[in-house]
Amino acid sequence: MSKKISIVLSLMVVFATLLAACGTPQATATESAQPQGEKPAQKVTLRVLVHQNPPMVAFMESFNKQFQERHPEITVDMSVVNANDLSTVSQTRLSANDIDVLDIFGFANAVQPYMKQADPPNWQQLIEAGLLMDLTGQDFVQNYDANAIKDAGTYNGKVYAVNLGRVVYSGIYYNKKLFEQYNVKVPTTWQELVTACEIFKAANIPCMTAGGKDGWPIFVGAYGLLGAIYPDQAALVEGLWTGKIKWNDEKSLEMWRKMQVYARDMMEEGASGIAGDAAPGRFASGAVAMFPGGSWYAPAIEAAQPDFDWGYIPFPGSDNPEDNKYWFGKYDQGWAIAANTPNKDAALLYLKEFSEPANYQAFVDAVGFIPTQPTAKLNTKIGAEIAPYLANFRVGYEQYWVAPKGAGQYANPWASYFKPFGTFDDPVELANKVQEDLQAGLDAVK
Amino acid sequence: MSYHFGRGWSKLTPYLLLLPGLFFYFLISLGPSIATFFFSFTDATGIKGAPVNWIGFDNYREFLFMGRASIDNLDALKRTLIFSFVVTTVQFALGLLVALIVNQKLKFTNIFRTIYFMPVILGVVIQGLMWSLFLYPLGGPMAKLLALFGMRSEFLGGQPAEAFAWVIFVQIWANMGITMMIFIAGLQTIPVELYEAARIDGANAWQVFKNVTWPLLTPSVNTNLLLNAIGSLQAWQLFLVLLGYRNGTQVLGYLIYATGFGQTSGSVTSTFRQGYAAAASIVLFLLVLVIGMTLQTFLQRREKRILG
Amino acid sequence: MSTQTASKFKSRRIPWDVIGSYLVMIFFALLYIGPILMLVNTSLKTTPSFMKDATSLATELHFENFREAWIKANFPRYLLNSILYTFSATIIYILTAVFVAFPIARGYVKYSGVILTLFVIALFLPPALIPQFQLILNLGLYNNPIGYILLFLVNPIGIVILVNYIKTIPKELDEAAAIDGCGYARFVWTIVLPLIRPAVATVIVLHAIGIWNEVIAPTIYLTNKNYYPITRGLIVFQGVYGSNWPTLAAAVLLLTLPMLVLFLFLQRYIVSGLTAGSVKG
Repeated sequence: MSKKISIVLSLMVVFATLLAACGTPQATATESAQPQGEKPAQKVTLRVLVHQNPPMVAFMESFNKQFQERHPEITVDMSVVNANDLSTVSQTRLSANDIDVLDIFGFANAVQPYMKQADPPNWQQLIEAGLLMDLTGQDFVQNYDANAIKDAGTYNGKVYAVNLGRVVYSGIYYNKKLFEQYNVKVPTTWQELVTACEIFKAANIPCMTAGGKDGWPIFVGAYGLLGAIYPDQAALVEGLWTGKIKWNDEKSLEMWRKMQVYARDMMEEGASGIAGDAAPGRFASGAVAMFPGGSWYAPAIEAAQPDFDWGYIPFPGSDNPEDNKYWFGKYDQGWAIAANTPNKDAALLYLKEFSEPANYQAFVDAVGFIPTQPTAKLNTKIGAEIAPYLANFRVGYEQYWVAPKGAGQYANPWASYFKPFGTFDDPVELANKVQEDLQAGLDAVK
Repeated sequence: MSYHFGRGWSKLTPYLLLLPGLFFYFLISLGPSIATFFFSFTDATGIKGAPVNWIGFDNYREFLFMGRASIDNLDALKRTLIFSFVVTTVQFALGLLVALIVNQKLKFTNIFRTIYFMPVILGVVIQGLMWSLFLYPLGGPMAKLLALFGMRSEFLGGQPAEAFAWVIFVQIWANMGITMMIFIAGLQTIPVELYEAARIDGANAWQVFKNVTWPLLTPSVNTNLLLNAIGSLQAWQLFLVLLGYRNGTQVLGYLIYATGFGQTSGSVTSTFRQGYAAAASIVLFLLVLVIGMTLQTFLQRREKRILG
Repeated sequence: MSTQTASKFKSRRIPWDVIGSYLVMIFFALLYIGPILMLVNTSLKTTPSFMKDATSLATELHFENFREAWIKANFPRYLLNSILYTFSATIIYILTAVFVAFPIARGYVKYSGVILTLFVIALFLPPALIPQFQLILNLGLYNNPIGYILLFLVNPIGIVILVNYIKTIPKELDEAAAIDGCGYARFVWTIVLPLIRPAVATVIVLHAIGIWNEVIAPTIYLTNKNYYPITRGLIVFQGVYGSNWPTLAAAVLLLTLPMLVLFLFLQRYIVSGLTAGSVKG
């Protein structure tokens, strides 16, 4: 019996070793000693990390194929992680020096002087730990809009990331066929939106859907409400920190009241079961009239039902149509290179080719971003829908917000606190709770 | 105690053979845990190359006493206790009941046993996906069932308390099979003669259970209670799979992971606070230690009293 | 009164207790089978049909989902990895554990009480994710199956169970064996091990379940998709290909079937492992 076990055991060990030996990515430190500028002649495996966004992943797969054909000595090993896991995996893989090129969101949530005792955001932690490569002066950086490089990829005067595009998240997709069929006016004010929903609901058509399972889509969907009331979102954050703005003042209460209508009456029953990436499919099925969500959903809607006719409008959060002509959004995905990468040349080459105008244009067309290369065009349908108000693009609140330590978990303007997604039924009660949770933090770091 | 297997150097054999196990234990378990203890007094981010500063009890102060966040933390602690208590007791009771039933000499009990044990084999991710689908609020089976009674619910995406209750349910559903198996193991150690003797004495089913089964089941009872109590205090994977990090549903284990690896808000730009997370895990450790030790002492005393 | 009940038992025609038992068993079985049936039904639907009505019976039998799931994910590999990790870590663990537990239970090593206390305390230790990660990193075992297996070579509850069980074996046995000239290692291996088989089996099953179910460790330690165990593979599948329920359900079923077959195959050992206590008694 003992013989048998020891045989099994040794087999296991051999097996594990084999697996380890055969499967390890072939990029090793030995290949790093390449002289600068020369094309790497040795075989290189370039490890690339991106977050899940189906059209982007599809584009990257074809781009990688093209890249490998042009550079047969380079193999691209791309891994895809859920957006929620991106920061965790970036951190562990950078620490383990197990990554060359990584997807990094636009730099945001920087600590402002008025934010006491706040921790720096993770991109800043990574830079300060020396894990991201300084890209200042690389040729391909010049392809991008200087402002975008400065706002979304620069820290202490050095460039650490090239940002690939902005996205809008304060809009609503609407089902043109249903709007025509029921003779509903495309809403430009809050009141019109309420009326539209009432008409659809009377016809037994759910008014809105969203990927409630992921939590944040419900919040993002109501972004127009926050934007309509506080068009200057950086000032909002400062106001909240300094106590000039309170979540339970009269102005904010208006927002909470509307949010309740949004969560309780507009959102369809069961929206909490739909995952963020399944919501476009739900909307494209034609069963729902509207879908408040980010511009990045457009390719998924098109992929799900190519002949489905939709439009995209700013979420009308205010009763004054002039207040509803803004887009709120953020800098989305960008590229960074690991500072300690053994494949520096290949990594730079990768970004260089990606940044070539033709490739970049194809990327933007595929994912529907608002381009950060000045020469790129808004060719997409979503681009055309966004264009009218593009001059009014503003970076959104949650890109500035840093919660004070000690703040409670409700210190956010989230519509999902209302029933049926949350526990609150009364806007005043919720507003007080949110402000109280925030105040506790502000008092604690005073 | 006297050692019989040789003298001199050969007396060292037990030590030698003990070493690998002990080595792994120090390397993988105790060492890192002690390191966690030290981490908890620093502002470590867990990022390689980032400076680490000694900040004394600041993490603990923040976790336990700072602002509203500390109250939320204590709520998570309370929730951990509730979760553990309900899961332990209900899983224990159901596991015992089911074990008693399937341990009878009836047909098909083997099939039923297998069915109840199945989720354990499928693992926590599949368990989570299965129930997410079963509780799909947009016309899923449970939603339809509720609709028959004119009710509706968002289940896992709705009221935190309800979502929390569903996680408890799935946790028990998933692990009752283990409890049941351990009880069946215990039941089969009880000599048949004792039951026969009891029956001859004219004991009814309840009396047989109370006077024969229950006391002789003590070792299984202890194993199950300890396993369930400690396991459920530290279990949070189902929260991850079924709910994600949601207000009003967090338990300590999840909180530690989320703060340590920057996943608190679902935001992609959150910070890594591994020092703070380490402090939270020390708090969890103390909690588990106190409860576990109390429980174990109690169970051992009881065992001594009953089995001598 | 008790005699009355006893006689009642005998005279009763309808075996209510048996019927009741079956009712309870069937009720619980439904709770376990229901979610699987839903999974099967969903996996056979098209996405639009699922979006329209999630629960309606699949009429179109859309097997395409299975093909899609099969092509997109490397499930055989994941399954193989899970099996490999579970088996090798469990075997190494149980071997070391027996040799830890036995001398502690017998007091053949100094400070055995202290060592046991260490293991009992370890029961309560929260997983030390962060330092463990640094450790694996510094050992150069990050993204490496050996490093991953290394994580699962410790399980204090197993030691405690073994120690308690070994204590029930009479010490006279050791003496007798030693007099017969049996060496320590051989004694533990050929005599003690079979005697404590029930406890060993229990520990093996508990330990293996833990590895099989691990979700977090693969996220942190394994980045190469060739190393993913089932748990991670499924999460990544969902992450990459989206939460499209019909495909997802098909993927889950594709994974479930071999696991169930494996279970049916091993069930004799698992069940007898956990129930092997009957050997003693």
